[in-house]
Amino acid sequence: MAEPVLAIHDVAAGYDGRRVLDGVDLVVPAGRLTAIIGPNGHGKSTLLKAISGLVRVSAGSIALHGTRIDGLRPDQIVERGVIQVPQGDLLFPGMTVLDNLLMGAYRQDAARDAGARLDMVFTLLPKLKERRHQIAGTLSGGERRMCGIGRGLMAGDGLLMLDEPSLGLAPIVIDQIYEVIFDLCAAGRTILLVEENAQRITERADSIHLLDNGRFVWSGIGAELMARPEIIEAYLGA
Amino acid sequence: MTPVKRDILIGLVLVAAACALPFLLPGRYIVTQATLFFVWAVVVVQWNLVLGVGGIFSLAQMALFATGAYATAMMGFYWKVPMLAAIPLAGVVAVAIGMLIGLACLRLRGPYVALLTLAIAQVMYVLIVNDTACFTSTGGCMPLFGGVRGIGQFGDLGFRALMPKSWHVAHYFVALGLLVVAVAMSIVIIRGPLGLAFRALRDNPGYAVSRGISRFKYQLWIFAVSAFLTGIAGGFYAVQFRVVGPTVFSFQLLLFLIAMIVVGGLGTIWGPLLGAAVLMLADEGMKELSDYRNIGLGLLLVLFIILQPGGLVRLFSRKPKPAADAKTG
Amino acid sequence: MDVFIQIVASGLTLGAMYAVATVGLSLVYGSLNMLNMAHGAILTLGGYLCYAGIQHLGLHPALALAGAAALCAVVGLLIYLGAALPLLRAEGFETNIFIATIGIGSILENLMLKGFGPYPIPQPLAVPGHVVLGNVHVPLQNLFILGVAVVLMAAVAFVLERTRTGRAIRATSMNREAAQLMGVRVGRVYAQVLAVSGALAAVSGVMISSIATLSPVMGGDPMLKAFIVCVVAGLGNVYGAVVAAIVLGLLEAATQYILGVRWSFATLLLIVILVLIWRPYGLFGRTQVVRL
Repeated sequence: MAEPVLAIHDVAAGYDGRRVLDGVDLVVPAGRLTAIIGPNGHGKSTLLKAISGLVRVSAGSIALHGTRIDGLRPDQIVERGVIQVPQGDLLFPGMTVLDNLLMGAYRQDAARDAGARLDMVFTLLPKLKERRHQIAGTLSGGERRMCGIGRGLMAGDGLLMLDEPSLGLAPIVIDQIYEVIFDLCAAGRTILLVEENAQRITERADSIHLLDNGRFVWSGIGAELMARPEIIEAYLGA
Repeated sequence: MTPVKRDILIGLVLVAAACALPFLLPGRYIVTQATLFFVWAVVVVQWNLVLGVGGIFSLAQMALFATGAYATAMMGFYWKVPMLAAIPLAGVVAVAIGMLIGLACLRLRGPYVALLTLAIAQVMYVLIVNDTACFTSTGGCMPLFGGVRGIGQFGDLGFRALMPKSWHVAHYFVALGLLVVAVAMSIVIIRGPLGLAFRALRDNPGYAVSRGISRFKYQLWIFAVSAFLTGIAGGFYAVQFRVVGPTVFSFQLLLFLIAMIVVGGLGTIWGPLLGAAVLMLADEGMKELSDYRNIGLGLLLVLFIILQPGGLVRLFSRKPKPAADAKTG
Repeated sequence: MDVFIQIVASGLTLGAMYAVATVGLSLVYGSLNMLNMAHGAILTLGGYLCYAGIQHLGLHPALALAGAAALCAVVGLLIYLGAALPLLRAEGFETNIFIATIGIGSILENLMLKGFGPYPIPQPLAVPGHVVLGNVHVPLQNLFILGVAVVLMAAVAFVLERTRTGRAIRATSMNREAAQLMGVRVGRVYAQVLAVSGALAAVSGVMISSIATLSPVMGGDPMLKAFIVCVVAGLGNVYGAVVAAIVLGLLEAATQYILGVRWSFATLLLIVILVLIWRPYGLFGRTQVVRL
């Protein structure tokens, strides 16, 4: 087996002495869609923040292509190619859509060919091209999400982590967003996806991991998950 | 032992020690400096209620102190009000001004409050200092608020006539009495419902508000309560020095008092008191250095806030320091 | 008409100086929620350094001004490294840094008192001559100040809007965490902003002392006014601050003429209090949603 893009081993992390993650192991293989599901408030976002260096890892290790990245500053981790599209977009509300996208290409090597990437993002998300001079704070919910994802794509190649990309959107907009995500998968992009709505991704994800109470309690592929209605019942309330 | 019982015990021991001091060290200088220490301690204990307990970043405390001092002096000078009546009245005036400032700050967030209150104090200072029009000319031209020179000749508590040799000891005990009241009030507020309400507002604002705890109401309360004794302390300061001038607005003094709270421990009962004692002693120690005194004071403040942000009282409590997180760099 | 020209001429000069003094404060608050109470002392230091450069070292005035700005940028950097950086690691940064910078300001002020003495001295950087508008003599010094301010503001705006660094500064002030996720090294942004703020403070200090005099406490008044400008504009709003500074300058010139110097500051403050009661986050401030 080829070396994974991301290897997380026995990680613990939390805020102000309160442990949110404890003993988390995860492997993200190259070119695959890896999904993390689980109930709200059980550490999914914290795990992504820990990978990005926004939350300090108190035990265990996180390795990118075999090199440890835990303990690095967030900017150093981004520079190595770990890109996160955070939950709730966290756009820069006072900037135009274009400036938001250009901020996405802040990384040293992304900045060099920002022009080409901008064309790519505009092809993938044509709505953003129309809105490029609009102030981001005035976009609609769906447009905001697209801007957030587009901003992530501007950062160039590397591991793309998406935190609940369907959160708070209308079903038709969710379909559009997932179309973009699946297109990226088809193009061979390595993606780590956090999603509360398991049904959305069971068919497309290469592996699914269920995070509960700060640790993974089940891993498998979509078909296996669908064959275990009790898991869905217990953890996802569907 | 409950916290309140422990506080009362500490208080009794301190009061006993304070009562013995003028007899053990009867020198006039020491007793007078100790009296001044009591005055500043009253102010910082009350300021701490607003700053540390209420979490309101008000810098208006010295303006309230000045209000008390000026009100006392002016009542005595213009209407010959006896000081025993003028000082409590000055406390009431300070409450009124404190409520007004509190109202103006109610809807503002932390840093805006700091700037607004600082500006209000500055305006009071500028108006007093720049006022050169004669309001009265008995014994030379004097502006309404005394201008740069200040106001004098407004009477005193009567101890100077009663016991010309040892009036300073009488003033010492009056100031000690004020401090006891101030600390008692601080204990009642910090350990009582008002302190609880503020803790609730800080720790879980959503829950607190849903339980009917109104931030506005409690903010005004704490402003009013702390203004009263601060104003009275100002009034006592006036009779102690027999003159009130615009120097009470000085930024150096404000810095000195803030440093007391920070060095002692913000939001605690005994921290401000401890800080006041430490800084008065440090100031005394640096007297020899004259010019470098203010630099030393500034350094002390900066070093403490960076190296020991919980203040000196944290050294005595067993609570662990909050862990650092959120990397920057 | 002549009165009008007089008020506009001196009001614009005042406004230009306040704008230069304020932009740095506003940038610093916007990026790291830090009210820099040492700003006034840095401003004074800039004035003295320029004076020392011309008077004692015999430097060309332009060189002395640039040197003063550079040294004050270093002071800003030192404040970041010595105070802001360690305090950012603990809780209660906003309160702690406020108090710490009060202390730093006091140290700087007393050092200057020690080094340059308490007596006011004139700023040697002066442009002689005047132009006549109507019947009003407008000193060239005022126009010079106005010109320098316009150039500086344009430069700041260019950096903020058109460069990668400027975009990172704006991004950090809008959302610190998101900026980090884009790869912005926020610590570097903080350092840059404090250095720029120090340099701008130095220039405004030279300007202010050139039409008044140099004294160790001269920074207090412009700093308070700069804070007022920030508050009126909404803390952290850089462009709003420039507009508010110019309005404040004009207003100050007008009230000085109409009511006299004595009442002008009190009147300004009254206006500020009313603005804050009407709009608690400033005229151009974003109403922040308080998350419960």
